Order: sequence, then C-alpha cells, then structure tokens
Amino acid sequence: MQSKLEKVVAGLKTGPRFLKELREFDNLVKAIGECKSKAEEDRVISQELELLKQRLSDPKLDKSRGKEYMIRLMYCEILGHDASFAYIKALQFASDPNIHTKKAAYLALTQFLDYNDNLVLLLVNTLLLDMKSDNYLIVCTALVAATRLIGADLVNAVYPVAVERLRHPKEHVRKKAIMALHWFGQLDPRRDGPLAGVELDKHFRTMLCDKDPSVMSASLCALHDCIKVDPRPYKNLIPSFTSILKQVSEHRLPKSYDYHRFPAPFIQIKLLKILAALGAGDRAASENMAAVLHQALRRASTSHTIGSAIIYECVRTITTIYPNPQLLAAAAESIATFLRSPSHNLRYVGIDALAGITALNPAAAAEHQVAVLDCLEDPDDTLKLKTLELLYKMTKANNIQVIVDKMMGFLSSCTDEHIRKDIVRKVCDLAERYAPSPAWFVTTISEVFRLGGEHVDEADAHRLVHLIAEQDASLHASAVEAYLELLDGESAVASATEAATATASGTMTRLPRKKLPETILLVICWVLGEFGHLARRPAQAVLARLVGILNVHKAASDRLRGCLLTALAKLAAHTGGATGPVGQALIQPHDGGAGSAAGGAAGQDAADLVHKCLNSQSLELQQRAHELQALLRSTPPVLAAAMPVDASCEEFNPQDLAAVAALPFLEGHVARALAGGAAPYLPPEARGGRTGDGGSKGLRFAAYEPAPYAIPLAAASTSYAATGTYDSRSSSMTGASGPGLAAGASAAAAGVPSASSITEPQLMVKSAGGRKWGPAQYETDYGASASSSQAAPLAAAMVPPPPAAAAAPRSVGAHHSRTGSSASLTGQTASERERLAASLFGGSGSGTTTAVRPTAAAPLPAGQRQLNGNAIATATRPASSYAVPTANPMDLLLDLDVPPPQQQQQQQQRPAGAAAIASGNEASQPAGNWMDSMMAAPAGPMLPAAPLGGISQVGGSAPLGGSFLGPGVPNGPSGGMMYGIQASRPPPQQQPGGMGIAMPAPMGGMMSSLQQPHFVQASGLGGEMGMGMAGGPAGYGAAAPPVQPQAWQQQQLAAGMASGMAAPIWPQQQQQQQRQQQQQQQQQAGRFADPFEDLLS
Amino acid sequence: MIHFVILMSRQGKVRLAKWYSTYNMKERARVVKEITPMILARPLKLCNFLDWKNIKLIYKRYASLYFVCGVDAGDNELITLEIIHEFVEVLDRYFQNVCELDLIFNFHKAYYILDELLVAGELQEPSKKAIHKHIQDQDDMVEKAKNGTAEEGQAK
Repeated sequence: MQSKLEKVVAGLKTGPRFLKELREFDNLVKAIGECKSKAEEDRVISQELELLKQRLSDPKLDKSRGKEYMIRLMYCEILGHDASFAYIKALQFASDPNIHTKKAAYLALTQFLDYNDNLVLLLVNTLLLDMKSDNYLIVCTALVAATRLIGADLVNAVYPVAVERLRHPKEHVRKKAIMALHWFGQLDPRRDGPLAGVELDKHFRTMLCDKDPSVMSASLCALHDCIKVDPRPYKNLIPSFTSILKQVSEHRLPKSYDYHRFPAPFIQIKLLKILAALGAGDRAASENMAAVLHQALRRASTSHTIGSAIIYECVRTITTIYPNPQLLAAAAESIATFLRSPSHNLRYVGIDALAGITALNPAAAAEHQVAVLDCLEDPDDTLKLKTLELLYKMTKANNIQVIVDKMMGFLSSCTDEHIRKDIVRKVCDLAERYAPSPAWFVTTISEVFRLGGEHVDEADAHRLVHLIAEQDASLHASAVEAYLELLDGESAVASATEAATATASGTMTRLPRKKLPETILLVICWVLGEFGHLARRPAQAVLARLVGILNVHKAASDRLRGCLLTALAKLAAHTGGATGPVGQALIQPHDGGAGSAAGGAAGQDAADLVHKCLNSQSLELQQRAHELQALLRSTPPVLAAAMPVDASCEEFNPQDLAAVAALPFLEGHVARALAGGAAPYLPPEARGGRTGDGGSKGLRFAAYEPAPYAIPLAAASTSYAATGTYDSRSSSMTGASGPGLAAGASAAAAGVPSASSITEPQLMVKSAGGRKWGPAQYETDYGASASSSQAAPLAAAMVPPPPAAAAAPRSVGAHHSRTGSSASLTGQTASERERLAASLFGGSGSGTTTAVRPTAAAPLPAGQRQLNGNAIATATRPASSYAVPTANPMDLLLDLDVPPPQQQQQQQQRPAGAAAIASGNEASQPAGNWMDSMMAAPAGPMLPAAPLGGISQVGGSAPLGGSFLGPGVPNGPSGGMMYGIQASRPPPQQQPGGMGIAMPAPMGGMMSSLQQPHFVQASGLGGEMGMGMAGGPAGYGAAAPPVQPQAWQQQQLAAGMASGMAAPIWPQQQQQQQRQQQQQQQQQAGRFADPFEDLLS
Repeated sequence: MIHFVILMSRQGKVRLAKWYSTYNMKERARVVKEITPMILARPLKLCNFLDWKNIKLIYKRYASLYFVCGVDAGDNELITLEIIHEFVEVLDRYFQNVCELDLIFNFHKAYYILDELLVAGELQEPSKKAIHKHIQDQDDMVEKAKNGTAEEGQAK
C-alpha cells in the first residue's frame, strides 16, 4: 500500500498534462489502492465488473466513453479477473470511428485475445479496413494488432494488404508492415503451409535497402528469422550486411540512433547475430566478415553495459563462425575484462563466452581458472549454474571427479526441478563418458539416484545394472553393501519418522530424507537378488532389508513387487534353496501371523508377501509367486538351472539361438496343418515377388533419406568410443588395448560387407574391448587430443614447446599476482583453492606431460587417436602397424628412400605423422559447409614435401595464435570435427597416385551408407592408411593434389547437422564412380571382396 | 525473441504485462505466480538473469518497479537489459520523471509506448527520438479528436 502522501503527490503530478479524462477509472484505482486485503480488493473488482457488465449491455451505451470502459476492463484483467464478457464489445469498439476509442479497443483486444481465438474472425474485416485507412496512425495500430491476432489460417486474407503497406510514404507504416510480415513469416517458417510460394523474403530484401534506418533494422529482424531457418539462400547478402555493420560502427547513422554514445547498438547486435548464422561452418563467408567483426569488436568498449553487450555478441559470433585465430585471440582478450569485472552480469556473460571459446581452444579456460573458481563459489545460483555448464563442457577424464562432486553439491542444495533435471542429465552423461573406474561409476550413479532419482532416465538405470553385471565379484559385493546401506538409511529414517509421529512430539530435528525413487529400488532389488549371497551379513538380514522396502513404500507398484519377488526367489536359490534360511522363510505356510521359527519377523513378512501375491489381483504377481513356490519346491538341480549364480552376462550361444529361431518344436504342428490343407508359409518378400515384378528386389541405389539426428550421433559416437580406451588414465578399464583394437578393426572389416553394419558402428567398437556401457563418447577427450596433437609437433621437432605446457605454470603464477585479495585468504584455503584449480584445470598440464612423454611413445597415441577417429573406415591393416612403437616419425618422413620392405612400415607411419601434424593446427569446424576445407593427401613420391609443407605452415601460423596449435578437437553444440583419412598406395614406382580422402565428419555428420564403400575399397586397395584429423585451415598440403593426375583428389563427406543440410549434394558422384571402376580394375586379388562390385560395374 | 514483458511492483503486483508468445489466461497467471517470488527474493547484488524452465528471465529494478523480460535461452542477456533500460528512458521522457503511479493511472499509454518499441517480440525501433515523435503525433491526434475536430484529425 502506498502512503497517502504519495498519492496526493501523484494527484498533483498527473496535473494538467494528463487530465482526469478517466475519472471513474481513477476512482477505481484509488479504491483498489486503499484496500487492506486481497479479499477486499476482489470485492471491489467484482463490483466494478458487475457495473461494467450492466453499462456495456445497456442499449443506450455512451460510445464516447468506450475508451474508458476498455481501460477499466484491461485493468481488471491485469489484476487477474475474468472479463471475457466484454470481448465482443471490444470488437465493436474497434470499428468505432473515434481514434482514441479505436486504439484502446485494439489494445484491449491484443491483451485479451491471441490468434487462436475464434473471435478474431469477427475482427478481420475491421482490421483490413483499418489497414487501408488514410490515417497512418490507424494503419499502424491495425498492423501492430495483426502481429498478435492473425494466425496461420487468416494470413492469406491480410497478407496482400500488408505487402501493399510496404510502399507507404510514412516510414512508421513501412516499419510496422515489415514487422507484420515478419510475424506472418514466423507462422510458417518453412513456407510450406499457408504461405507456400509466397515471396516474403523478396520483400524483406527490398526493405533492407530502405532509406530509413528504422525500416532497415526492422527488416533485419525478419531476415534474421529467415536465415535461422535456412542460411543458404541468403549468403549473397553477406556483403550488404558487412557493409551496413561497417557503416554503423563507423558512426554513419544519424545521431538519434545513438544509445549512450554507442552507434546504433541494437542494429549492430542484430547484424552480428545474422552474420553468426550466415558464417557458421562457411569458411569463405567467415573470411569475408572477419575484418568488420574485428572492427566492431575494437570500437566497442566496456565503459557501458551496451558496449559490453556488443563485445559479448561479437565474441559469440566469432565462436560460431568458421574459426579465425586472430579473431579468437581478440575475443579471448576481451572476455578477460568480463571475467575480471566486479559486476555479476558481466561475469555471467564472460563465463558464457568462455565456454564458447573453450570449445574451440581448450587451453583458454586455464588462463581464467581463478575467475572461474570465484564464480563457482559465488552465492549467486545463476552464475554458479552457468559455471557448472562451462565445467561440463571442459570435463575430461582427469577432472571428472572434481566436477561431478561440484555438480552433486549443487544438486543437493538446488530446489528448482528444471535445473535439477538438467544437472542429473549432465552427471549421468559425464559419468558414462569419463568414469575413472566402475566402482566410481556405481557409487556416483547411486548417489545421483538418491539425490535426484526422480529425474533419472530409466535407460540410465539399465546401464547401471548392465555395468554392475559385467564386473567381477568384488564389485558385486561392494555394490550389494552400498545398496544395503542405502536401504538401512531409508528404513532408519522411516522408523524414526514413525516414532516421531507416534509420540506426536512434533520436534523433528531434521527433515526426513526423501524416499528412494522406484527406479533405484528396481536396481536394488535386482542387485540384491542376483548378488545378495555375497553380502557380509547373513542372508536373513538381506531378506529383511528387501522385505523392509515394502514397509517404507507402502504404495509400491506391482512392478516393484514383482521384481522383489523375483529377487527373493533368486536370493533363496543362491543360499541353499528350499532348505536354506531364505527358502524356508518363503515357502513356510501362511499361518495368519503365528510366526514360525524359520526366519523371524522378516521371514514372516516375506511369507506374508508371497501369500498376498499368490492372491493378488495382478496376474503377473500371481504367476511370479506361484513360480517362486514351484521352483523352491523342486529339486536343487532344477532350481540351480533356473536361477544360476551370476549368469546374467552370459552370452547366448549363437547356435542355440539359431536352433531356437528355427522353432523346431513347432514343426509337427506345421506338418499337421499342411496335411490338413493349409497354404504353406511364404515370407513377405516372396509374396511381393509373386505378385509384382522381380525387379523390385535387390539393393536400392538411391541414398537413403538421412535421419537428421540419430545416425550422426551414432556415427560420431564411434569416433570416440574407443578414445577412452586409449586414454592412459582410463586404460585400466580396458583389456589389452592394442590387440583389442586390432581385433576391433578386424571386426570392422568383417562387418564391412554389409552396408547396415557400417551405419551401426557401435557394435564393432564394442568388440574392441572398450567399455561396454558407455554409449556416446561424442565429445572430445581433451587429454587424448592434447597428447596427440602436441605429440605430433614434438615429433616433428620444429615446433615451439606446447603452449599448454607453458601456459599452465604461467597462468598459475599470474593468478597469484592478479588476485591480490586472495593473499588475504589463509594459506590453507589458498592452497585448497590451488588444489581445486589444479584438479579442475590440470587437464592442460597433465595433457602436456603425456605429450612430453618419450617421443617414441608419442606417435602411438596419435596414431591410435586417428584410428579411433574413424573406426568405421579404418580397415584392418593399419591397426596392427600402429601398435609398433617406432622412432620419431619425422625421421621417417625425411628418410623416405629406404626401399621396402622397411618402406612399407614407414609408410604406415608416415601418414600418421603427417596427419598428426595437421591435427596440431586444427581448429574447430562448426557444422556446415565443408566444401573448401579439406586436407590433401600427400601423394606417394611427393610425401616428404607435403608434410614438411604442413609443418612449416604450422610454424608460420604459430605467431598468429600460438595457443591454437594444440586445440586438437572442438566440441560443443556447433562444433564439428573433421577426420581425414589418408591412404597412400605402397609401391610408389608402380602406381604413383596417392590417394587421399578427406572426410570431414562434423559432429553428427551424416555418412550415407552408399558412400561408405569407397572407404572400404580405398583401404582394400591402398593398403596402408593413415588417418588423422585433417587440418581446418587447410592451406597447407593443398599443393599436393594437383601433383598427381591420378591422385584421388579429395572426397568430401560433409553434412551439417545443425544447418539442416542433412542431404548432402555430391557433385563428384559421377567422378567417383568412374574412379571406383578404375580402382576395381586395379584391385588386387586377396583383398577382401567388395560387396558393391557388381552394383558398380 | 522476447516472450513477455512484465512490470511488477515490489509487492509482486503486476502493473503491466505484455505477452508476445501465446499464453492463455491460466498460463499467464501461472507464469506470474511462479516468477514473482523468484525475482523478488533475489538479493540486489546478484546478476540480473535467471534460468526459468526453458526461458531466461532478465529483470531490472527501477525504484519500486521490477521490469522483467522472458527471452529465449540463447539470446544476448545484456542487450535485453538495455532494451529494458531504453523502455524506461522513453517512459521517463514521456511522463517526465516517471513513477509507479504514472504507470498505474496511465497504463494504456505505457502499452502504446511499448508497442512502439517492441513488436512481435523484437525490438523494432532503436531510435528514442522516433518513438517520441510517433507518440507525440498520436497524442496530438487524440487531442484533436477530443476537441471535436475528429473529422479533421482523421483526414490528416
């Protein structure tokens, strides 16, 4: 309630200018202001609404007071009361000739209705008339109302008039008309609905050239929306946008567009957003806009929020478009100011921008570790959450424990469901990808279940079960103990709660812990059933805990009860069968609570449970209970066969499966039916062949429709699934890595003949002995990438020390000097922070150490990484050769003329080295057009030149952005990834044509199954293959392709996931086929057969 | 894009609400009910952004009024803050030192001004001068209409 005095002042203030034209409305506001309670206020408003209802339904309605009525109605609606009775009146007032009544009515309508409302139909005619009005204010009002009230079904009625208004002499009208068209465009963004065939964007393009800056800026909004849907048709506008941005940032617009002395910042930011959308993944476009981006970034300053906003938008644009080292360096520099700022807002956007830069250059975060830690410990949850998001993006195997700890800490204190869900998802995701050990994974996931179980996906629970099942007995035992403790805790709390309520003391000292969610209970039931016999406590105690679940969860679902029954049965079977303590408890006759001695109270409860289930309404429960009893009463061998100990991971024997699949036991039945005159069974394809032509059978030649998300992820996941395997830190989880990989690769080769197996590469990777449960390792493991990318330059012996190595110690020192305030911290906290920082950001440091490992070992991870990079396309042979620890690849590169057989091995190494060098200079590739970024394969005899060229390029680009030498691999939503496969044919004297295939596979890049065979053949023919991440700025090495006329130039498989360019266009398809034929002629016997041979000839 | 603009008092009373995305009356009430405590409970020094469901709330307090914008998660937070500020500057110039009561008694004028600044969830007029001129034109016309020269006004 405002004080009286204030109201008097307000009364004076509203003085002459704002005449009391609305006396009754003023009275209403005052009456409401004087209300002492919500109830009183409601009463006043109800009275008012009653009054309005009477007045409005009065046939002698005073039209001149229409505006006031409308305003009073709106006021009542703002206060949360329903005024729907008056909507129809508002429609009437909208056609009132008096402009102020009309405006008020339109305003009320836009407030009351939206385009879904049927009443809008009644308004269309008025709206059209008003849009054609001579009074430009009325036209504006109608156009604004149209942006709110016109839906997809009415667009066509209004559209022509709105287009006509684009030629209105008043710039206000033109501007509003554009906004109206912009709205229409949003209704049908892909132009395949009511606006099919309408050339909206032509109008937007025209209006971009309008002489009035306001109109131009309105058309920018509209164009931005179109470009977000599909940037391709708008690439030719890039010069216009850059020139507008240049002019704006040079202060060429009229002074009235300045905002706090910054030239038209709103227009600048809109343009930056448009450029980001246009430049994403398009190298040529990005180069065109680099200069103007630099200018915009330079001219903005952080003196005012608006300047920071421009800088922030510049940084976002820079990290979205095709990476440019200079721009990235400038961006990194400018966000340093944000992160140092005392303002939370600036730090927030700084963290956000840093996450974008880190995706391209993982070393960037290390410089700001203190600032990041500050944000992590900030009391502001929003900031903390943003920082966690940053950490999530820079998680790798060596810092996952710290980061997950932080996330769990936040999870336990956070109450917002939406955020909790997000964190749970992230923790599960990270745990799957980087878990250092199975035991850690089990404890972490169980903890997640405890803290945020309601948000855990059931799939995660399955994965957890799967993982536990795969491990050995010690882990089984520890999982059993962990879960028993969990149940202990829960039942203790439950009994405490019961006791508290029973005594009605009401003085609960601590909140009762939440009940465990059902998903984890199912997992617990399964684990305790399967492995309960491993528990350290007696079987009866385990039984008691299991049955105790129902004491806490009185409303347990049938599903849980069923699982519980099965668990009890298994537990009984594993602990001595019917004669064991559990078995006895379970099959004891139900005697109405007399309590036999078999299992004490818990045994009685268990017997009760079985008895209840025997008589349950649920058929499934009944069946399970009967089965339990029958099994327990059967002989021990039967019981052991039905419920074997720890056999959940047993593989089925394929022969057995085949035998079962043939359904031999049905044959007698079938024979009888046939004898009885039934038609024999025809498989569906045979049926088709009988009716139609036989030509419909066979393989299809057309590319399959790309599935925009599913397959790319799967494909990308292969690239990385094996990465963890080779990361030295997680190698403990794999079997023998080298042989495993070879096996995996050979499995891949074996799987090659069937096209479908190519698109499902995960299977092969699994066979490589990697972790079985980790699905999508589609994000980069920086540790590995750092080691590979830095190892290569090291091996090349021409490159300055790895940037990360230098950066890590330096940055630590720098932070000490920077945070003078942190000196005031006690030594202990400081050292704690250091430790935390080291554990969080140690990635670059430890990455370096792995990189500086003996160079003999260095090529190994590089080669492996490359191999992992594309497990699908890798054929068998290189795998084994990479496993050979060799000397510095640089020597090999230089030492080319050694004749075979040694040469063969060197060539195996050589591409690896070359590719690794290229990867050293790799920058991130946002998804999108890759046509111009490719890596040339060094052709056979030219080999020494090309890699050397590559190295010198690396050296040359080093000053531009030293730290970009080692980014290795990009990640993040728009990050893409490029893998190159280089295959050189072994005998240079015979066939000098080298073959290189640069295969950029942006994250989620789609590989059509049709394209895959090329790789297969390539590897079959080329034999030795090196694979690597091809360099992004691929200028180097580009000299190679023209050298050999027969060389396989480049073949690009690129597809953008984000840009919707999922359907790749293959201009080279024809050529490829010709080459393929050539290749087949050359193909030597003894390589594995090409399944597509007959298709292509 | 901006999904909604809400002005609320320190007591949580809504003074102005403009919805650019489709929310029906129930949803509107729920949004207001959910975001009000979140924003009012924020200490002054924290950042002006809040994650709420899948949208981002950008708010700023001017005297006793909170200006709240709900924007897409990917939008530039700082520019939204500046849009709020520009709105306040325009209001201030129009009402000459604006206060909460101006907005209560003349809330329709505030809506008209907002309509000049934002259309369909996007900033459409970056120039304050142009907004003023336009609002002034409107006022003049309304004035004429009231003075009985409605025909003349419409003929303009």
